Order: sequence, then C-alpha cells, then structure tokens
Amino acid sequence: MSRVGLGPRAIAALIAAVGIVLTCLGSWTLARGDAASEHRILKVQTGQAASVLSAAVTVIEQPLSTALSVLQVAGPDDGSAFTEFITPYVGSKKPFVSASLWKRQGDGLTRLATTGAAPTLDPSSDEAREFVRHAYDSTGTTIRLLAAGGRNLLLWGKADPRTGLAVYAERVMPADRQASVAANSAYSGLHYAMYVGHRADSTSLLSTDVEPASLPMSGYTTRATIPFGDTDVTLVTEARTHLGSALSRWLPLGVLIGGLLLTVIAALTGLRLARGRRDAEQNATTITALYERVDNLYGQQRELFERLQRALLPHVHPTMPDLEIASKYVAGAHGTEIGGDWYSVVALDEHRFGFVVGDVSGRGVDTVAVMAQARFTVRAYLMDGDEPAVALEKCSRQFDITSDGHMTTVIAGVGDVRTGEVMLASAGHPAPLLLNGTASTVQVPPGVPLGIGPARYEQTAFQLDRGATLFCFTDGLVERRGEAIDLGLDRLAATLGEACDRAVDELVAHAVDTLRSPDASDDIAVLALRRVGA
Amino acid sequence: MVGLATSTGPDGAAVLAVSGDLDIAGVAAFLEHAQPLLQSDAAVIEVDLRDVTFLDSSGIGALVRLRKATADGQRLRLSHVPASVARVLELTGLTDLFADRSDW
Repeated sequence: MSRVGLGPRAIAALIAAVGIVLTCLGSWTLARGDAASEHRILKVQTGQAASVLSAAVTVIEQPLSTALSVLQVAGPDDGSAFTEFITPYVGSKKPFVSASLWKRQGDGLTRLATTGAAPTLDPSSDEAREFVRHAYDSTGTTIRLLAAGGRNLLLWGKADPRTGLAVYAERVMPADRQASVAANSAYSGLHYAMYVGHRADSTSLLSTDVEPASLPMSGYTTRATIPFGDTDVTLVTEARTHLGSALSRWLPLGVLIGGLLLTVIAALTGLRLARGRRDAEQNATTITALYERVDNLYGQQRELFERLQRALLPHVHPTMPDLEIASKYVAGAHGTEIGGDWYSVVALDEHRFGFVVGDVSGRGVDTVAVMAQARFTVRAYLMDGDEPAVALEKCSRQFDITSDGHMTTVIAGVGDVRTGEVMLASAGHPAPLLLNGTASTVQVPPGVPLGIGPARYEQTAFQLDRGATLFCFTDGLVERRGEAIDLGLDRLAATLGEACDRAVDELVAHAVDTLRSPDASDDIAVLALRRVGA
Repeated sequence: MVGLATSTGPDGAAVLAVSGDLDIAGVAAFLEHAQPLLQSDAAVIEVDLRDVTFLDSSGIGALVRLRKATADGQRLRLSHVPASVARVLELTGLTDLFADRSDW
C-alpha cells in the first residue's frame, strides 16, 4: 500500500512558504501603515513650519509698510523721519543690512536717505530699474533674490503710488544658503529647503539646513507654498528622523523577524510531525502486510489439512448392484481448524457391504491422525468378516482418550443388498435415519465412544426395503449452540421426510445445504445408502 | 465462553462449577481447573453443570478424561445436570459412565 501525498520535506517547505508569505505581507502592511502615518505627520509639521515662516515674512515686511505710512504723515520728503523709524531694523542681527528711501521723478530715481550699508544693487543697472518699476506697479512687496559680490541678498521693495516714494531694503542670506535649525523650533523634526518662486532649483534656493549640493531632496517629501511679497516661497521638507512612535517604526521589522522565526519553528514542527505520520503509516503498512502474510500462511496450512482430510476420505465408493451411495464432507467455517469426521463404504463380497461414519472429538492435525487410525481399524475388522458390534468391541481396546486426548464416536454397519438386512452398532454416535416414505430414527442403543476403554456393544438388525434409504451423519449437521439436540434431530427428520423422493446424491446435498448454519464451526460428514432394484 | 469456579461442597466434595459453553474453546481451561481437584484429598470431585448452555463432543471428551483420571478412592460426581446435557450424554452412550449424579 503506498499513499500518494506530500513528503515531509514538501510539507515543511509548504509551511515555510506560507509562513514567509504571511510574514512578509503582515510586515509590509505594517510598514505601509507606518509610512502613511509618517507622511501624515510630516504634512502636519510642514504646515506648522509654513505658518511660522509666513508669520516671519510678515514681521520682516511690516517695517517697510509702516515706514511709508509714517512718511505720509511726516511729509513725503522727510528723510530724517524715515531714518529715525527704520534704524532699529537695520544692522547686523537685524532684519536688514541696508535700507533706503527713494523717490521717482519722471523716469529717474533719487535716493533721499540711506541707513546701514550702502545698497549693493546698482541704481543705474537694468536689474535695479526693472525691480523699481515692478515695485511701483504692484501694491504689495516686491522681493527678489540677488547673488552679488559673493553674497546672497534678498531685495525688498515697496512703493507708495500716491507719494511716489519707495522703501528699499536688503537682507543678507548665508553665503552657502545653509542655516542650521534651532532645537524646539517648528523645523526641529524636519530637513527643509526653501525656494523663491515655485521652482525647486539651485538658483532659487533661499535657505536649507542640509548640504545644498545634496538637493533636491529625495524620498518622502512634502511641499508647502507661502505667499512671499509678489512671489511665493516653496517649502520642501522631509523627515529628519522617524516622526511617529517607536512601536510604529519597529513593529514591521519585529513582525518580520518574529514571523520568520515562527515560520522556521512551524516548518521544523511540520517536518517532525509529517515524518512521524509517515513512520506510523509505514509501521501500519508493515503490520498489515504481516497480518496478510500470517493469514495467507494460515490459509495455506488449512488448505493442506483439508487436502489431507479429503485424501483420507474415499474418492470413489465401491460399485454394488442395487445399491446407490452418496456422501458429502463439509469442513467447518473459515477460521476453525479441521475436524475429524469421516465416512467409509467397503464391499465385503458380491452382495454384502460394510459402512462406517465416525467423528473424532477435537480439531487439528492430530485429530485427523486419530481419525485415520479409527477409519482403517474399523474398516479392517469389517473386511475381516466381523459383525459391527464385534468390530467396535475390538476397536474399543485400541483407543485411549487419556493417551491421545480424543474420543471417537462411530456408527458401523453391514448390509446385504439381496435380503435388505442391515446390522448396525453405535459407539456413542447419533443414530441414523431410515427413509421409507417417511423418516424415522433407527433404534440403535449407543455404547460408549471409542477411547473410553474396552466396551461391549449392542447390535441392531433392521430391514432396508427396496427404495428405502439409510441416512448416516455426524453431529455437525444437527448441533446448534443454545439449542437442545432433539430440536436439531427433529429438523433433520422433517427435512429428509419431505425430500424422500429425491435422487440420493441430491438428497444429501439438499440436507447439508438446508441444515448447515453458515457460521458452523463443526465439520459435517454425511453418508446415504439407498437399496434399489427389482 | 466457559466460566469456571472451584469451591468445597457441604459434604466435603471438591466442586468445579461450569457455566456457559463447554466446547473445544473451553476444554483446556476446564482441565486446568480440574487438575488441582484431582490432586486434592477430596474423596468426591463434583462437576456442577447447572449453568452449562452448550456441550459438544470436545466438552464430553473433557468430562470423560476427568472421569478416567480420578484416582483410586476418588469418584467423579456430576451435579445439577441440565436435561439437554443429560440427553447429549445419553445419545453418546455415556449415561452409565456418569451414573454418579446428585441434584442438591
């Protein structure tokens, strides 16, 4: 028996594959959740940073607007009022390094006052003219980024169309545009890069906390746009470190490692269980095979015994004039050892015949041996001319149950086909039936079975008419567990009484088929003798 | 299945009570239980058959072997023999061999 199925290794591999897939899926899902959460937190923090930046721009811008308002009150040309107001905002560590007041007259520009350093922007340059024109044309603040003299300057300009005055200020940005971020500030968790306008290129870079050469930022970035005078500042951020909880950050890795460990354990356990099952199945197969072999051997032994038994039974009955003979032997049901039932018919002379039916108690090959001995002994005495009672008496001296453990019941008879006279003696054997239109028991007083010791036997004589049948049998035909023996005998008489007219071999077959119980453990021997002729 | 129990009767007999089926499957156990009784000093060995439900030729053979094994001075007595068992003994020609019986 071979089972088609997965081998232990295949099962372990399957478990490992499923485990790895589940682990990776779980870990990936958690990692994605963490990334989404990181992105959300980054957006929130960037929004906060943008608000701070927006407020800072307003703070820087405010003095310029206020200065123009002051001049509306003090008089358009009052340079000293401008200087007085703007000075606190100019200098190192102040919003501006340089601030100046200008007035447009026709196409020309006149500088009315200057505080701090001299303006870096050349008033006569095209850049300056374009900047001023833009400042006069717009209502808000004009802001430009200017790289000049190795410095990065942020130019601020705001004009008042009613007075024709304009305020111009310059703010210095770090030369490498790099500025560190103070702890606890809105930017503390972020790397950032600010660009003037909407393009994130190096020329527009306003400020960053990372090495400018490493820009633009890659990875998860977030953008925010803040109004910045007449233009905008684009704030690009990425997370400096993991923003969310440590659990959220390490859980995917933990799940991955734990899952893989569990997968290995599960695969090893699966391998062990599968091997155990395979071994158990192999053991079961071996045991089954052994049982089959034992069963087979038993069958062979039984077959051998049955052949021995049949070899000891006559294959052919003697041919006698006016005598029909039929017989049958049936072994006990499968699973039981063979028994010691037999029958025998012998021609004594032209007209006389001897017959025997016997049953050795017990089972097995030694029973068959006793049976063989009994069969040939009784037969020999009958052939020698002894009457049945004498033959049995002589036999009784030759069998001893205390030495061989067996007891033998025998019915022995001698008949004459011319006269129909039959002599009969029984050594503890069930009496035969006489079928002559009806079935009746032949009254033959039973002596003790062979094996009990020397005994004497009574002999009965009766007439076997032409057409009548003498039916001899062993107890296996009538004996049933839990039933009185007389019930079985009555059943046999009834069955035979109804079948008197059948041919003698049919009669025998019918009786055995009808009366034998399917689970009968005992064997059965039947011999029927019918006297025929005119 | 055969059931076997030994005891001592009121008259000092060594009693072997048999129940169930005394057949080829029970013969070995029967003889094994009977062996100590044969070796005892009891003058009477009694086999109580009141609860025997089936007796086949092997069982009869076992009774015969016990009967023949009783030593000088010992005798075998069957007690409470059911009618079915008595009938089987009769058909087997053994009524006289087991003539020693009691019903109390």
